[in-house]
Amino acid sequence: MGNLIKAEFRKTLTTKSWWGLLIPAALFSFGFALGWGNVVNEFGDFLGGSDARMLTDLLGIDPNTLPVGLLAMAHGINIATIFPMIFGVFALAGEYGKKTISTTFLTAPTRGSALTAKMVTYLVWGALYGVVIVGVASLGTVMVVDGERMPTSGQFFGVLGAGVLATTLATLFGIGVGAVWRSVTGSVVTLIIYMLIVENLLVIVAYAWLDVGWLGGILPNGTVNGIVGAIGAEAFGAAGATLPGLDEELQWSLQFFAGAPGAFSWWAAALIFTGWTLAFFGTGWAVNQRRDIT
Amino acid sequence: MHDRSGRIAVQNLTKQFGPITAVQNLTFAVEPGSVTGFLGPNGAGKTTTLRMLLGLVTPTTGSATINGKSHNGLGNPARVVGSVLENEGFHPKRTARNHLRVYAAAIGVPDQRVDQVLSLVGLTSAADRNAGDFSLGMRQRLALATALLGDPQVLVLDEPANGLDPEGIAWLRTFLRSYAREGRTVLVSSHLLAEVEQTIDQVVIISRGQTMYQGRVDHLRQSQQSRVIVQSSDPNALVTALRKAGVSDVQPTPDGSLALIGSSARQVGDVALAAGVAIYGLHEDSADLEKMFLQLTSGQYAAGQQQPPPPGYGTPPQGWGPPPGGQLPPPGYQQPGRPGPQQGHQGWGGQG
Repeated sequence: MGNLIKAEFRKTLTTKSWWGLLIPAALFSFGFALGWGNVVNEFGDFLGGSDARMLTDLLGIDPNTLPVGLLAMAHGINIATIFPMIFGVFALAGEYGKKTISTTFLTAPTRGSALTAKMVTYLVWGALYGVVIVGVASLGTVMVVDGERMPTSGQFFGVLGAGVLATTLATLFGIGVGAVWRSVTGSVVTLIIYMLIVENLLVIVAYAWLDVGWLGGILPNGTVNGIVGAIGAEAFGAAGATLPGLDEELQWSLQFFAGAPGAFSWWAAALIFTGWTLAFFGTGWAVNQRRDIT
Repeated sequence: MHDRSGRIAVQNLTKQFGPITAVQNLTFAVEPGSVTGFLGPNGAGKTTTLRMLLGLVTPTTGSATINGKSHNGLGNPARVVGSVLENEGFHPKRTARNHLRVYAAAIGVPDQRVDQVLSLVGLTSAADRNAGDFSLGMRQRLALATALLGDPQVLVLDEPANGLDPEGIAWLRTFLRSYAREGRTVLVSSHLLAEVEQTIDQVVIISRGQTMYQGRVDHLRQSQQSRVIVQSSDPNALVTALRKAGVSDVQPTPDGSLALIGSSARQVGDVALAAGVAIYGLHEDSADLEKMFLQLTSGQYAAGQQQPPPPGYGTPPQGWGPPPGGQLPPPGYQQPGRPGPQQGHQGWGGQG
């Protein structure tokens, strides 16, 4: 197995996609953290203003120490998570596209071992993407958000862990989608359109017109975002153990603001997205065990 | 674990892709120490058979084994069998060396092996170029280099001459022959007999997914060499004289000539002179493997598509399947399930 994992690392390191996707991942993470950092910092200032004071007093929170930096980090991390997902698509769909899959299967004891080696390799890649993405999101956030509004070190490590978990699962999710579909272009285009546009529209439409608030808590994009986003929402008492007296609309709005509308809690989001990942990865695994390579 | 025999055994192998039967009850064996040609027209099922042997396609029924094991039972398979397949690819942006380093790691051979195989196939100077910039011939060489990484006992090549220039084909021929001389097994498919005729010792000919002939190439050739065609003034007298001289396999041809098996032009001339029969035409029909190949594989596309297969077509007559020592096919095998030469001349006309 060590040999096959080494081969998979060589495979990823001898083409450009690992850094070709890591660079935009870092840029988006940084840019979104910076942009949202500005917004939430001002939001913090707004909450500190006399008009909103009544509300925050009512909720029992101190606007100056609200960890709004979490929101900026979550948005940076969540937007960048699409890139390790795309990277995952290349793992198998790329091999089918370039027709290297036969050689891969011919040089491995069994197909299962080849697929396992891929999974292990991409778990490591997913985690590496996660560390970089969380790192630059933190950098972007710390540059614009006031010190007392930054998360505590405990919260920070929570976000780091959740971010790495999200990108790792996203990578496996991408592998699964590519393994089922076998088309890099098809998978990538579909994932981008679905994850960034379609699902967000669905969630908003469902909430606005059908009064369904939980959709984002179960769909793939909502749940992968919820892993990190819900930590921010939870810090505001808008997810997990919710603040008493927080009405549903404000709760959903706060979740939306945190980038995790409908999220039940960070761990529920992680569990549900793991389910999505297993569904695609498991299906991809099963069909590739048996598929005739002609 | 596998038995290290270097033997390839295909047993009652059948593959159906939906309604299409690509391979039907195919049985043959390939022994080490020789280059075996795996021949058949396009669409005969060669590639599917090789892919089943390599575990890339799952057989519907039957088995294909190397060293007594199916591909996924070989342990580290690339150490046992190396293959060059059609429709196999390279990442266009990966250099030849990096491509080989990937699979060297997978097989578990040291990186020096990469340089060895590059030099073996003559790609050392192109090692750091992207595979996407390679010509078809260079890609074939790179595929062969990949196959050789594990120093395998068995080499399986699907149409390896495709894209090679004459020099490359000559080089490949020498290479494969020396590989087999080391006691290894080489199985090479082609749809053109002429392309591999000088490379192979053994041949397995398939058509419509079934084995038509298996044995030594020179036996196939010898079995045809004795056919003599003679046109004479008095065929009946000549037949009588020939029978006396011990030539019993005499058949009339549609144009009034005689076709003799087991004789020579010189003998026929002598017998005719002694019998006082004038000869108008006399020639030996030299072994033309291409014609035989066409004859053995004819009917795949040409005649007989509308009619049911002639009796005996499905199961080869006894004696020309295995054993694979190169058994001389019994007389009459050359027209399996078809009218013999005495009734129709088609087989020799190359109608296929």
